[in-house]
Amino acid sequence: MSRLIRHEEDEMNRILSREDEILPSSGFAVSVMDAVRREAAAPPPIPFPWKRAVPGLVAAGLAAVLVLAAGVVAIGQLGRTSTSAQFSTPVSLPSLMPSIFHGGMESAASWTVLALLVTFVSVKLSMRLASGRV
Amino acid sequence: MSATDDQADVERVLAGDIPAFEGIVRRWQGPLINLAYRFCRDRGRAEEMAQEAFLRAYRGLSQWRRDAVFSSWLFALATNLYRSELRRIPARAVSLDDIAEPADARASDGGLEDQDRDLAVRRAVGALPAKYREALILFYFHDMDVTTAAQSLGLPEGTVKARLFRGRELLRGKLPQLLAVPRLKEA
Repeated sequence: MSRLIRHEEDEMNRILSREDEILPSSGFAVSVMDAVRREAAAPPPIPFPWKRAVPGLVAAGLAAVLVLAAGVVAIGQLGRTSTSAQFSTPVSLPSLMPSIFHGGMESAASWTVLALLVTFVSVKLSMRLASGRV
Repeated sequence: MSATDDQADVERVLAGDIPAFEGIVRRWQGPLINLAYRFCRDRGRAEEMAQEAFLRAYRGLSQWRRDAVFSSWLFALATNLYRSELRRIPARAVSLDDIAEPADARASDGGLEDQDRDLAVRRAVGALPAKYREALILFYFHDMDVTTAAQSLGLPEGTVKARLFRGRELLRGKLPQLLAVPRLKEA
């Protein structure tokens, strides 16, 4: 049995060792060197502008944290109010909203203007960053 | 192929002498193409993969640590590339179950022709699961040197030995007649 396995192994070694060699095509080295020269001539990749991006990333992170915190507080208030509402008079949902949503048309208009202003500043700032003028 | 030639060329390339890389390409084009060919069995694709391997070697030349032989580093880099290329676009292979065992290994002319037998075994190797196939390809490419095969694969020697054993078992199970029957020409 072991002689048979030994023979099989020898046979496998013989077959797999006797692999036909292929020769590189005549222009292979030249084509590799062309690719290498192209690679060498290409400008180095532009590094990510961390210095410019960090303030924006920090601001975005802070904004995200503030939104999250505001959300958590709002949900907490909602929970407390709905628990007490089971035992007292019903409370309408709009009354739970922050006061900024209760100012009527004037307040809405001022928030819209503020949002547009923030958008405009972000767009201008990102365009300046992209053009490298900052 | 001399290790000192490789080292000298690498130093020159790193110093900015790009044409010196051609020495490395000319010395290693044959082995790298042949290794790629064993993985994909397609001459055109083998050359494309070898070219990409040389490009990556050029880009990463400064990462070659001088304590390792240049060829080991180059083969490990190429093997890694070939394996990921074949994972991305697998070579056309048949399933191990679809490989037909020849009806009678001892045919009327006194046995299977060497070519047919070799072809059947190679097709069976190509149909093995990747980890066994890669171990077998590297083992035979490096003249049955487990240490070098393990270096190229970036695996411990024990793992490569286990994969070789299992790969051979699978082949033996698939091609018992083909491998067990002594060739009459030799008898």
